[in-house]
Amino acid sequence: MLNYIFKRIIHAAEVLFVVSLITFAVLLWIPGDVAQLILGSDATPEKLEALRISLGLDRAWYLQYWDWLKGLFRLDLGQSYLFGQNVTTLIAQRLPVTLSIAVFSMLIASVTAILLGSLAAIKKNTKTDYFVTGLMQLGSSVPSFWIGMLCIVFFGLKLKIFPITGYVPIEQGFIPYLNSIFLPSFVLAIGEIGMLLRTVRTSMLDSLRQDYMDMAKVKGLPKVTVYLKYALRSAMIAPINVMGIQFAKLVGGTVVIESVFSLPGLGRLILVAVEQRDIMLLQGLVIFITFLVILISLIVDIAVMFLNPRIRVQMEGE
Amino acid sequence: MGKNKMKVNKKYHLLIGGILSFLVLSLCLVSFFYTPYPPNEMNLSDKFISPGESGKYLLGTDHFGRDILSRIMYGSQSIVIVCLLAVAIGALVGSVLGGVSGIFKGRISSLIMRGIDGLMAFPGILLAMMMVVVVGKGKEGAIVAISIFMVPSFARLVYSLILDSESNLFIKAAKSYGITRRRLLVKHYLPIILPRLITLFTACLGAAIMIETSLSFLGLGVQPPNASWGMMLNEARQNFLQFPYLAIPSGIAISLSVLGFNLLGDGLNELFTKRRS
Repeated sequence: MLNYIFKRIIHAAEVLFVVSLITFAVLLWIPGDVAQLILGSDATPEKLEALRISLGLDRAWYLQYWDWLKGLFRLDLGQSYLFGQNVTTLIAQRLPVTLSIAVFSMLIASVTAILLGSLAAIKKNTKTDYFVTGLMQLGSSVPSFWIGMLCIVFFGLKLKIFPITGYVPIEQGFIPYLNSIFLPSFVLAIGEIGMLLRTVRTSMLDSLRQDYMDMAKVKGLPKVTVYLKYALRSAMIAPINVMGIQFAKLVGGTVVIESVFSLPGLGRLILVAVEQRDIMLLQGLVIFITFLVILISLIVDIAVMFLNPRIRVQMEGE
Repeated sequence: MGKNKMKVNKKYHLLIGGILSFLVLSLCLVSFFYTPYPPNEMNLSDKFISPGESGKYLLGTDHFGRDILSRIMYGSQSIVIVCLLAVAIGALVGSVLGGVSGIFKGRISSLIMRGIDGLMAFPGILLAMMMVVVVGKGKEGAIVAISIFMVPSFARLVYSLILDSESNLFIKAAKSYGITRRRLLVKHYLPIILPRLITLFTACLGAAIMIETSLSFLGLGVQPPNASWGMMLNEARQNFLQFPYLAIPSGIAISLSVLGFNLLGDGLNELFTKRRS
């Protein structure tokens, strides 16, 4: 078992290395001069040259890459020319917003998908099943930014239940905080439920077909126990895997949602970095978010291994 | 009985998906020859006319008095052209990479697949935005961004299909009498791979539309004054609190076309799986 975990960690490290290489290479191709971008068009050639040397831009790409990589290990992602601050600081300031939305919407999506997916599986090929799967098919086709806009009009303006935009940090009270992130999280969740629900439904159908289900029914156990304790528990392994992948997508999806709801998170920072071509900032953000994604999928993989009795028993037997 | 019902359900996928995809494609084709008004023509005296308010504009006009229906029609061009082209490029590059690593194995294969793993680790929109910085805003940027995002799925599919089918008897037999690599690929692998590729291609179109519209919603895709559905939603943001109708047509258009290609992909998948079994 340790062997597997070790292999998995090595693989994650490999992927991370490739990711850092791709990120660095891609942004190296950006047309235009970084020094010019920072100093503006009226800078003198001498000043430009001096800045290039101080930024290390005059050296070979692999030396620049090596320096950047060394910085990564010290959690130093360089300076943002736009904000004049350390990229790590900028990320740390905005991370709570993005993480709140991502975690909360994952929560909403998981609960909904597990409930509706199990329902659809238990009521297989009935109107309920068709309704639920159809609804979710629709849900994953609607762009989140559109639903976001509609929700702002409906919940924010017509019903006035939720604030339209803005973020309230958790220090200013839990309820205002929850209010400010509920709508964006909910909107983001809608797009994620579809795939998760499908997985829950399929693996629930699979476990409903197992012999121990008949056994449990024959024993005369109450329906709730049969479904919850026997079917759902063994059906949760595949969905948890999908959740790991979904979470990664969610962190990316917040870029658009934060823009719709004007939330000061990582997504907005990325958009600013792209628009203003702040390459250091963009590089730092991309590598940070991808690192987060790889880390989460690593954790999920190992968690699944502990959850799945088949794998666990097999490994203990080794 | 239950099984029959399910088949009917899946047939609907193919039917509805087919109809919706056909509608999007024909909307695009028609827009080349005819739109009710020139899509970029401003008419400031006619701005913010809601649908049905005057008989002249079916879906109303936007903040510059441009006809929304015409812009929706014209916007379908960017969806269809950008997405078809991007997925096609992604599919081609991905299949070649997957095929090469599936057939040649060894060091090339592991190098390519490592790269693919790395590409796959990026959240889609992040990768797309990064490419936009390199290539620049606009159609070209969107095409490059989306096609790179599509490469890993196709590479992995082709790679795993080739590895899977190697244990097939007919492939072993073909290899045992010394078939050439090219003939092996065309005669034996292609019939296995092609249906799956078509299915993935269709499903990817839905995802591509999502990314394209997200990019143009963020102002990184097709640039004004040209119309695209995502950008129309973005433009509607400034005024949709007073005029909510501005946000309706483009939102529906995006949703229906994504739904169409997703359903078509599902339907095709079902069709090909049935045939195989």
